[in-house]
Amino acid sequence: MTEFMQALAQGLLIGSTYGLLALGMGLVYGVSGVVNFSHGDFISLGMFMCLGLYSALTLDPYVSIIITVPVMTAIGAVVYWYLIRPMVGHKFLMVVQLTLGLSLVLQNGILMVFGGQPARTPSMVESKLLILGDVVVRVPHVIAFVVSFALAIGLYVMLRSTDFGRSIRAVHQNANAAALMGIDVSRVQTLTFALGIGILAIAAALLLPGTPIQPAQGLRYTVITLLVVVLGGMTNFVGIMLGGLIIGISEAFGTIYLSDTLGMLLPYGIFVLIMLFRPQGLTWSSR
Amino acid sequence: MLEIEHLVTGYGGVPVLQDVSIKLAAGELVGLLGANNAGKTTLINSLSGIYPPMSGRILFEGKDVTRLTARQRVEIGIVQVPEGRLVFPEMSIRENLLLGGINARARAHRARQMEHVLELFPRLSERLGQNAGTLSGGEQQMLAIGRGLMAEAKLLMLDEPSLGLSPLFVQYIFGIIDRLHKEGLTILLVEQNLNLTLRHAQRCYVLERGKIAVEGASDVVKDDPRTRSAYLGL
Repeated sequence: MTEFMQALAQGLLIGSTYGLLALGMGLVYGVSGVVNFSHGDFISLGMFMCLGLYSALTLDPYVSIIITVPVMTAIGAVVYWYLIRPMVGHKFLMVVQLTLGLSLVLQNGILMVFGGQPARTPSMVESKLLILGDVVVRVPHVIAFVVSFALAIGLYVMLRSTDFGRSIRAVHQNANAAALMGIDVSRVQTLTFALGIGILAIAAALLLPGTPIQPAQGLRYTVITLLVVVLGGMTNFVGIMLGGLIIGISEAFGTIYLSDTLGMLLPYGIFVLIMLFRPQGLTWSSR
Repeated sequence: MLEIEHLVTGYGGVPVLQDVSIKLAAGELVGLLGANNAGKTTLINSLSGIYPPMSGRILFEGKDVTRLTARQRVEIGIVQVPEGRLVFPEMSIRENLLLGGINARARAHRARQMEHVLELFPRLSERLGQNAGTLSGGEQQMLAIGRGLMAEAKLLMLDEPSLGLSPLFVQYIFGIIDRLHKEGLTILLVEQNLNLTLRHAQRCYVLERGKIAVEGASDVVKDDPRTRSAYLGL
């Protein structure tokens, strides 16, 4: 029972961050129809930037976000404006290919700068534990959970009650009509992409403490993010957060109850099962 | 107020509009008629800056606006209420109206403008929180017009406002158009419904296959045999 609770707690905590990763991807898909296959490599980039900042200035990853968030946001804006925007509206597969290419560029760029050895970025809270009855959780996981949910709620409020948020939803629901309102659709798409990448910079710092990193890990994060986004119904806010929790929990159960290799398969197995019975995602479609 | 001079617009190098010239004086209610595919929607989309013109000029309040972007057109007061209404279905009436007034010029007076719109359409004010997608066609048309007014239009272009509405709603919507006209708004009314438009507009243009076939005061256009033939595609 303790083991069960332990796995559940750990899965929930990590799953919230998976949800956050997926919200960024879902938002981008919602406004521009782009599925970004370099999503995970941008997480990598965020993590290695934290590593670089630690090596150079001994900055804690949680402090590094002051630098990584604006830098990654700017990178996101530039990448969308100059690389993706000219392709949007063309064949879907061309954009997929572009982002896959971007993934390789990022991966090898990181490899060139940091080398292929697995690395760790220390943090002051890395080994701290929180004991709740029988369940022991790592403090970085608790921080990840709290920050992820706070950001998700913040995003939700932003989408509901600011002009920028309403513009995002307008472009998602009908880009032509949005243009007739005087909304600059390309600008909204660029800012949303930049926002999505900026969020990744935070998520990278949240996932970093205690996790060894290496340049080729990006694809794993992309796949997890895709699972969550598809589970959540692509653009459904609540569905995506829920999907994150489900993937997080199944990953935790997989590693605790099954062998290492088999455990890694569990999230995918559960994903396939859910998709068989609810191909539209966990929640009913909401635009 | 609006002068279109020898406008040619098209897609993929093929012109849809060929040498179209139209003038609207401030405060006029002008009809733009034509059968399906005559180029009516292409024309107002070029006025909205959605399609760049291949040649020709568009002057608005004496200034050349031919090269302005869609956003800049809305900001100077050229506002379109699109065909099929295109309300944002998963947003409330209130949010739809707020989006209507999102351009830099209108944003400052959104609260006041919303009062005006809701007074014009009391039916909308009863259900501000309701999602636009759940409204009837007629109510969505009210919302689409209201949203256009939120932008503080100087020139309001209505694309097929009667499309798919019950006769009662058509009457109501045209009553509103008349009222806006009397309040001094300049209106370009794009319609397939010939008789209805001829009754409400002061002047009309008839488009036929991308060219102006007939123009003039509504009763003149009405009696011109070319109007009927343009419609029937003869």
